Order: sequence, then structure tokens, then C-alpha cells
Amino acid sequence: MTTEPQNVRIVITDGAIIPDPKERRIITAWSISFVGALAALVYLCTSRPDPYWRLLQFLPDGIAVTFKVTVLSILCSIPIGLVTGLGRLSRNRLINLVASTYVEVVRGIPLLVQLFYIYYALGRFLKVPDLLAAIIALSVCYGAYMGEVFRAGIDSISKGQTEAARSLGFNRAETMFMVILPQAWRTILPPVGNEFIAMLKDTSLVSIIAVADILRRGREFASESFLYFETYTMIALIYLLITLFLSKGVSIMESRLNYYDRR
Amino acid sequence: MTAASAEPIISIRNAWKFFGELTALNDVSLDVMPGEKVVICGPSGSGKSTLLRSINRLETVDKGSIIVDGLDVNSPDNDINKIRQELGMVFQSFNLFPHKTVLQNLTMAPMRLRKTPRAEAESRALELLKKVGISDKANVFPAMLSGGQQQRVAIARALAMNPKIMLFDEPTSALDPEMIGEVLDVMVTLAREGMTMVCVTHEMGFAREVADRIIFMDHGQVLEENAPQDFFGAPKHPRLQKFLNQIL
Repeated sequence: MTTEPQNVRIVITDGAIIPDPKERRIITAWSISFVGALAALVYLCTSRPDPYWRLLQFLPDGIAVTFKVTVLSILCSIPIGLVTGLGRLSRNRLINLVASTYVEVVRGIPLLVQLFYIYYALGRFLKVPDLLAAIIALSVCYGAYMGEVFRAGIDSISKGQTEAARSLGFNRAETMFMVILPQAWRTILPPVGNEFIAMLKDTSLVSIIAVADILRRGREFASESFLYFETYTMIALIYLLITLFLSKGVSIMESRLNYYDRR
Repeated sequence: MTAASAEPIISIRNAWKFFGELTALNDVSLDVMPGEKVVICGPSGSGKSTLLRSINRLETVDKGSIIVDGLDVNSPDNDINKIRQELGMVFQSFNLFPHKTVLQNLTMAPMRLRKTPRAEAESRALELLKKVGISDKANVFPAMLSGGQQQRVAIARALAMNPKIMLFDEPTSALDPEMIGEVLDVMVTLAREGMTMVCVTHEMGFAREVADRIIFMDHGQVLEENAPQDFFGAPKHPRLQKFLNQIL
């Protein structure tokens, strides 16, 4: 008899496949994609430096913007998600209802529509700068997803842990922050990482409201040079390499969090 | 028992608890004196765990009162977290904190709740681990321990708060048979030292050896309550006679 099942894996959305930290083989879907994408990038840039190498030099600004939007949005969506997740677990009917309604509404509206709503529709009352609008839309949208991740992660910790902590005299908050969340975190991390990757990809939507991200920069390049095939090949490769890097990073963090397991 | 023990340290009066249609506690009253060891037994679903868990308000009773050390555990005027600090609890499934080492499991509550300095909490924890016979495992994570070892750590964790009373909820039911003895030994030692104990258990050998009083419950009611000698030697209630025949 062990205490409880703790390796619940939550699979939520369309981020990317997080490589299994225990996977020791060299040839995996991840390594094939990574080596393949890298090889394609290097080959294109060396064999036809004219559009490709030039393109690669044209895009870094866009990559920086994409990262900036992603990181800022993730930093905002994690606290929103934590509050939402706790709200969804709250026994207070009102708090529960507010959190659940938020999740329900946000999940029912496409991100692109939310983005247009904040930038164009609300723009009638309050002019929001494009970058800020992008970050707000992504944070609000992903906050709801994160809320579900946090809720599921917290839910996956056995009731016995709460009872043990409470019976020692810890109050609700101490129990949550000292006992439950530190354990839930490793169940939560892979799907949060997944959301992070999904969000990075979804930032491509912000190119539509004039934020100069990778895709926007690529479109500028293509519209001047008419090299659509070359441009979008390059952009696809860059997105792929970034997400592959991130998924590996999440995988490594995940294995670090398993320190207290047997062996 | 000392002269100061005229007042019960736990006093349960007419407790009722319903789970939907089921009556888990049916007008239960029970007093426990300081230093007393009370064993509660009965078939599963008899309400014995519910009774134990209502003492530290892991369950709230629907009717009746539960007074621990002079404080009503269900009164909003009393801080339940303070009351719980005086009530050590040991669970069937151990419930150690898996993300903390054995030592941290023992020092966490005293350091946070009693503001015990780290050095003091750690030396006390090591003392307790020695007492339960696993001082060499202080720095490992619970997942490395056997069930019996985990349960002994769980007892030490509860003792680390220096509680006045220890509650045991079927502490050996989840253990392999060869590990039951090591946990019971710790509990016997604790009883000998004069700890007030309320134990829900099926270990009748333990009950016979250490209990001052044994309570038999069925269908949420206390059907019989007696010193071990009479409890086993001259059970009066037919349900108890049947129960004893089945388990002895």
C-alpha cells in the first residue's frame, strides 16, 4: 500500500508533445524533428543564401517580439490561472460561480475574436496599444486554460494530504501553499509547459493587429519580395525549432521535479 | 490517573452525524480522561472512524457537542487550528508529505506553528525518530520507506507537536502483517509513557494489553463499553459476542 497515485498526467491542449524525461533512446520523434529542422535551415541558408540567409537576418526583431509577448502573457496568465483554479475548487458558491463562468465564457470565444474585441471593439472606448492588447487577450484566454490545469493538478493530490496537514494544525492557506501546491506543481508543470508552447504559437495571431512578431516580419518580407514559398518555409522552420527547444526544456524541468520519488 | 484528572479531556455529548440516508453517529456520548487509553472497535461502517475524526473536526457532527480540553471544537469562537495542535492524528494511509524528507515531515509543523527554532525542532525530531526506531532514515524521502516505517514516521510527526492527545485511525490496517508489530510496539511504548490515546483498531491483542476501556460500536451507536477483562471475558451485547467470535 502506497500513499496515493501521484503521477497523474494531465493532457490538455495543442501545445506540443513534451518528450518523456525517462526516454533514453537517441532516435525519437523529437530528435528527428529537431535535427531535420536544423539541417534544413542550415542547408537552405548555405545553398541559397540569397533569400534564406537574408530572411534569417530580417527576422530576429520578430523573434524577440514573439518571445516578449509570450513571456509577458505567461507571467500574467499563471497568477490568473492559480486564482481561477482555486476559485473553481472553492466551496464558496459565489467565488466558484465567478471562476467557472470566466472559464466557460473565455473558452467559448476564439482567441482571434478576443484579440479583435480588445483591440478594435473596446478601442471605441479605450485605446489600447497593440502590444498591450495582445498581452491582455492572451493572458485572459490562457488564464482560463491555466485555471483548468491548476484545478486538475490540485485535485490530483489525495485528500489524505490535506487531512494530515489540517490535523497538525495548519490552516487552509498553509496547507495549500506548503503541502498541496508543492506536490501539485509537478503534475501541473508539463501541461503548463504545454500551454506555454501553445501560447507561443498562438502569438502568431497578434501579427494581425500590427504587432511586429515573426509572422508579421515574414509577411512584410514576402509582400516586398513576393518570395512566399521561401519566406513561409523559413518561418515554419523557426517556429518548429523554438517549440522543440521549449518542449525539451519542459521535459528536463519535469525530470528535476521528480526528485522525491523512489530512486 | 492523577488527582487533577477528575475532568475528562475529551467529552462527546449526544453526537449525531448523517451522511445522506446513513446515520454514521447515533446519539454517541463518550468521555476520555487524561492519560486514559480508549480503544474503539466495531465492524466497518459502524461509525468508529467518524467518531474519531469528529474529535479533531475532520468531520463535523450534525448535532451534539464535542469538548476537547475545555474547548468546544465546533464553536466558531475557538480556533480549530489551535485545538488540532493538541490532537496528534495518525491515519490508516500514513499521509506523510512525500515532497519533504522524513526530518522535514517532523519539523515542518513545530517550526511553522509553534515557532520552534530549526535547531531545536531538528534535535527533537531526531530524538523522536530514535524513539520510533528509524533515526538512520532522517534524510530520505518517504517513498524510500516501507509501510511500517512510514507509519512510525507518521506517529513521530504527530508527536513532534507535543500533543496532549493522540488519535489513531486504524493505524495498522494498511500494513503487511509482518509490519504491524513494529507499529504496535511504538504505540505500546507511547501508552506506557502515559499519553492519552484514542485508537480505532482491530488489533485486539493491543486492546487487551494497553486499553483502559474498549468501546464497541455498530450502526453509529456505542453498544458496549468496558474494561478489557470484562469486554473479552464477559461480553453482554449479542452483537459484540458475534463480533468477537468472528475476529478472535
